[in-house]
Amino acid sequence: MSGEIIRGAIDCDVHVEPASLEKLHGYFSPYWHDFFRGARMSLSSARMYPPNAPSSARPEARASGSFPPHTLAELQSQLLDVYRPEAAILNCVVSFVAGKNPYYQDAVCHAVNEWIRDEWLDHDDRLRASIVVPTLDPEAAAVEIDRLAQDKRFVQVLLPVATETPWGNVRWRAIHEAAARNGLPIALHAWGAIGTAATATGYTRSYFEDYVLNSQHSAPEQVLSLVTEGVFDRHPELMVSLVECGFSWIPSLMWQFDKDWKSLWREVPWLKMRPSEYIRKHFRATTTPTHIPADVPAVQVAQVGSMLNAAEFLMYSSDYPHDHGPDSLEALLDSVGDAGREAILRGNATSFYALGERASAGAAG
Amino acid sequence: MTAIETAAPREVVRPARRATLLIDADVHPIAGDGGVGDRLAEPYRSRFKTFGVRNPGQSTYPRTRNNGNRLDSRPDGSPGSSQRMTRSQLLDEYDEDIAILIHLPGRTYSGTDPEYSRALCAVTNDMLAEEWLDVDPRYRATIVVPFEHPEYAVEEIERWAGDPRFVQVLISGSAEAGMGDRKYWPIYRAAAEAGLPLGAHLGGYDYNRAGSGWPSFFLEEHVGLHYEMPSMALSMIAAGVFEEIPTLNVVAIETCFSWSVSLQWTMDQSYKLMRQELPALSRKPSEYFREHFWFTTQPFEEPDDPNELIQAIEMMGMTEHIMFASDYPHFDFDSPDRALPLEISGVMRENILGENARRLYRLDALTR
Repeated sequence: MSGEIIRGAIDCDVHVEPASLEKLHGYFSPYWHDFFRGARMSLSSARMYPPNAPSSARPEARASGSFPPHTLAELQSQLLDVYRPEAAILNCVVSFVAGKNPYYQDAVCHAVNEWIRDEWLDHDDRLRASIVVPTLDPEAAAVEIDRLAQDKRFVQVLLPVATETPWGNVRWRAIHEAAARNGLPIALHAWGAIGTAATATGYTRSYFEDYVLNSQHSAPEQVLSLVTEGVFDRHPELMVSLVECGFSWIPSLMWQFDKDWKSLWREVPWLKMRPSEYIRKHFRATTTPTHIPADVPAVQVAQVGSMLNAAEFLMYSSDYPHDHGPDSLEALLDSVGDAGREAILRGNATSFYALGERASAGAAG
Repeated sequence: MTAIETAAPREVVRPARRATLLIDADVHPIAGDGGVGDRLAEPYRSRFKTFGVRNPGQSTYPRTRNNGNRLDSRPDGSPGSSQRMTRSQLLDEYDEDIAILIHLPGRTYSGTDPEYSRALCAVTNDMLAEEWLDVDPRYRATIVVPFEHPEYAVEEIERWAGDPRFVQVLISGSAEAGMGDRKYWPIYRAAAEAGLPLGAHLGGYDYNRAGSGWPSFFLEEHVGLHYEMPSMALSMIAAGVFEEIPTLNVVAIETCFSWSVSLQWTMDQSYKLMRQELPALSRKPSEYFREHFWFTTQPFEEPDDPNELIQAIEMMGMTEHIMFASDYPHFDFDSPDRALPLEISGVMRENILGENARRLYRLDALTR
């Protein structure tokens, strides 16, 4: 059922997760140890990725019995030493579910980031990671970004794509500014904090709906917000990656957005270009899921690639261990020529994450 | 087309009579000052005058021009309140064969209690019949219903089902529950049995804005509302509405259409992995979508290369479900003469300008 993982690429979305909350206890202050002793607290991505759902693990990951990988040895044997990516960016999204108590969320993010550094980045030079931040407390998020940006192996700030307030809103300025002053991109990753329903009508009745709405509702709303509110006019260098959000929806958004802007530009005079130009300049998307099924005719796949200028816009990801089913990524890569393929598999990520400049900076390992 | 900025009067020159049908699927009349309230019986008449209509979605964005209406569309009262002006600026000016009326405030009347909501919807439909449909045979209307009070919504659909001038049932892009919720199925059944599509007009019942949160500016709100439609379609398809009510049609109004390429692909790619969760479905989600969903064109999407729009229409596989609309008298009015790029030609153009709407709204007798 799964799409092929491509060898030797820069893999912009690889999931890892602690086997249990216990593995992180050492990173929490004594205040939290009292909770851990007294209550059966847990921390996992199971609500976003129900373990038995076919989409939550590729067959080989499921066969390993441990997914997402809990240890570097598991990741090496399942992915790194098999497909030999030039680099892999680790995303640990368990903090998305700690979305009620801002102090707990801050503690979880701090713990996850330190665990990533100690257990992963320090032991394999191919690895880079996203910084997770407390989304209920933008000031605390900025502190965490400033702290970790010193370590050049942390290459972006990871935010959930489903929110109670869109990411361009004024209340998030501390996060925009912290990312910008540290030269870090922001990644919007599928799913959201618990408590965030997927639709304008609130909660859905199925996982299928929630899953689809990451790309068909939340992601376009976030792009609209970030562009409209002038985030890129205040931070002309800021870049945003759309991770695990698909990309086949983006051409349509650009057309709709440009059309409305022609009538409503007076409301947003700080925009110096058409909205689609901001999207092309400041956004990138990872390749998995494509949300272009395998049976779409190759000519249509090529047309979508052309509308999007895929050779500039896309960055390869396996989204290991998740499985989004057979797709048209190979047909898309075929349509963009050798240079386009190289850009999508390696070149775009190298410049987006400044991997060339950062390569020697971190790797204490 | 962009906003019409000048109010300078100009002589109306009727274009040469076209050979093809022109049906405008989104035209907005509005009850004149006190229009709906004055029709209400007590105690609702006093309630309307004292407290108005309380419903979701009433906070507003600051707007830079004429509160969202064409500057030249203001008669003595509100834009859209004059049947005569609509006839002259739209039907006569563009030689439209049919204009389908949608009274937008009706989308939100169901936010009030059932009895008041029922009364508001009933007098709105009376007003449409008497002040518009009875006056010019080119008008058709959309039935306003108390959507959150299904028993009364069914009653209102049945009240008008025998009047062929009412051609669809108005709903909003959102509601108090997911649009697939069984609470609403009696409404869907009544509409299907009467041969009436549901017309889902963007915005209105702004009950919630989960999934991303409330935008700050009208621009992001206005484009963002298009993305209510994927939620609506997903909810209805996943719940098995179209298995249960196979003759139901739904029109996504004023929300563009090219988004449906990605929606269809995403649903189908995901369905393969998640069908255990969707026992009600016997076909791929896109098959329900292509069969049961329709679109109006305004605001007409304008990629730099118009051929890309044609490619997207081909990817949708729904050429015969796209219907021209002007959105008169709103700021982003699309002219019937100029909105469609020349690249859309021949049969596709004729279908979009009139033939598709003729089939959906069963305007069979209509000819040019």
